[in-house]
Amino acid sequence: MSEIVLKVEDLHTSFFTRSGEFRAVDGVSFHVREAETFGLVGESACGKTVTGLSILRLLPEPAGKIVSGKITLDGTNILELSKKEMRAYRGAMISMILQDPMTSLNPVYTVGNQIAEPVRQHQRIQDKNMVEEKVISALRLLRIPAPERRLQDYPFQMSGGMRQRVVGSIAMSCYPRLLIADEPTTALDATIQAQYIALFKDVQKETDVAIIFITHDFGVVANMCHRVGVMYAGKIVETAATSTIFKAPRHPYTNALIHSVPRLDRKDDRLYSIEGQPPSLLNLPPGCRFAPRCPDVMDICNEQQPQEVEISEGHSVSCWKVK
Amino acid sequence: MSDVILEGRDLKKYYPVTKGLLQRTIGWVRAIDGISFTIERGKTLSLVGESGAGKTTAAKAVLLLERLTSGEILFEDRDIYKFSKSQMKAEYRPRVQSVQQNPWSSMNPRMRVRDIIAEPLVVNTKQTKEQIRKRVLELLEQVGLAPNQADYYPHEFSGGQRQRIAVARALALNPSLVVLDEPVSALDVSIRAQIMNLLKDLQNQFNLSYLVIAHNLATVRFMSHSVAIMYLGQIVEYGDAEELFQHPLHPYTRALISASMLTLPEDAEQGVEQIILKGEMPSPLNPPPGCRFHTRCSETQDICSKEVPEMKEYGKQHVRCHHVVYR
Repeated sequence: MSEIVLKVEDLHTSFFTRSGEFRAVDGVSFHVREAETFGLVGESACGKTVTGLSILRLLPEPAGKIVSGKITLDGTNILELSKKEMRAYRGAMISMILQDPMTSLNPVYTVGNQIAEPVRQHQRIQDKNMVEEKVISALRLLRIPAPERRLQDYPFQMSGGMRQRVVGSIAMSCYPRLLIADEPTTALDATIQAQYIALFKDVQKETDVAIIFITHDFGVVANMCHRVGVMYAGKIVETAATSTIFKAPRHPYTNALIHSVPRLDRKDDRLYSIEGQPPSLLNLPPGCRFAPRCPDVMDICNEQQPQEVEISEGHSVSCWKVK
Repeated sequence: MSDVILEGRDLKKYYPVTKGLLQRTIGWVRAIDGISFTIERGKTLSLVGESGAGKTTAAKAVLLLERLTSGEILFEDRDIYKFSKSQMKAEYRPRVQSVQQNPWSSMNPRMRVRDIIAEPLVVNTKQTKEQIRKRVLELLEQVGLAPNQADYYPHEFSGGQRQRIAVARALALNPSLVVLDEPVSALDVSIRAQIMNLLKDLQNQFNLSYLVIAHNLATVRFMSHSVAIMYLGQIVEYGDAEELFQHPLHPYTRALISASMLTLPEDAEQGVEQIILKGEMPSPLNPPPGCRFHTRCSETQDICSKEVPEMKEYGKQHVRCHHVVYR
């Protein structure tokens, strides 16, 4: 097996606001290996984006704080790095792709300029021709046609799919060890989304980058991820290989999520639906967080939080029913 | 003979592109370019396509929010463009209602839910306050909300509940046809299922017809009786939903279905391959000659770039393609 690039252990991230402490991430542990894609799946406000931002240490301050936990990248605990050291990590060792390319690109700079920025910053290359060479190779990595001519284009001159490739080029320009992709395909059309995912699989093969793929779309998970962590109200409730998640989910929430998505390959008359809504992060239930909505709820579920149990190699579940 | 509630015949909508001080028209964006469809009573027709395919323009035309360049819309066999103003107000608009995509922007944040749902009744009917109050409570119950929630404001509800309020408002006037523009795409996965089930139940209960605009094919298969796949302002494949999903005939439909299919890692190892289209949808300002899809089609032949394919009938499906292989 390949080397572990990132290890997150018992991460707790909270937002301290006037109305109280929002425990956005509450004890999350997972790891990603070289050339592996780990999917973080869940609904809005389950803490998947905050997990990504915690790894980059880009939480909105002063409200957001990493309360406890350990994040190790290639053996270094990045929570112990100084601000200056962390700045050298971002963009060079860890980079991120956000959902909407129109807001993550600067509209008044050319794309060539924007890709050159991390190259100049992190690789300390000042020579104009060498920078340009690096920029073109980054554009080529993301299969942008005629990269030499695209350098002078502004983001508005490109289509949504092309813009998201430019964002990908910026993220990959310094060949990072870890890429955090936060819903990178949600704003794209179906056929363009399929192109983008195929492209990223190729990029991963070429560069061995480890990817954390944050999404709510199970179709994307199936196509892109090797392993998946399903999040609910700040916790990972189930971690397993992608096909296990789809074929033999053990947590009732995973099961309900998978069955509430309509299928393209068959006609359903009725969808399985989970009643109610996720709990407020300000006022979490004392026991299992899914207990108020769970169809298989038992007495103990409302009283104590279940511990994570590894039921087979690489398949862990936090549920009282699973032993 | 089936009971058709609305029929669109050869609908076209061109938007002028102007330039310069004198606003000279230098070209036309052909948002929809000759589409025809029928919606049967109590059934659902879905218009599917990627952004820029023209599906929303078609829906706006049905809702009379856009005046068409040409074409006829027949509502219960009568041409709605020949309706007088008062006929329109009495016989068309109240009977065709809509639910919008985003429940955060489709409601006035300063109105109570009671007033939001009552508004169509106040505007269109002469019911007394007491009648309206009763009707609002009845509607709330039908969409699965509690009567005491009538006095809340929209911000006090979650996305799914708001979409229920939007549905209640659309149903207030007992419409025959409801246009649903991406009704669930702004919602979370577990909430989507609730709303889709609700929409289906209401359809059965009130014999509603739906015109659904959507880009998610799985949603469409669940909701629809018939489907029209749109590409660059035209319908490329149209017909019975089950036929279309089981035996897609147009290469674009096949690519779209393939792109939305769940492919697990072991399926890929067994050689189940996704069709990945090359390139992007061309600009509707300057659509390619011949078949509009030929620039991205994997099965393109010489004829495709020269002649525009006609809509042809194959069993229950209609397809616009030069080389359909029909069993």
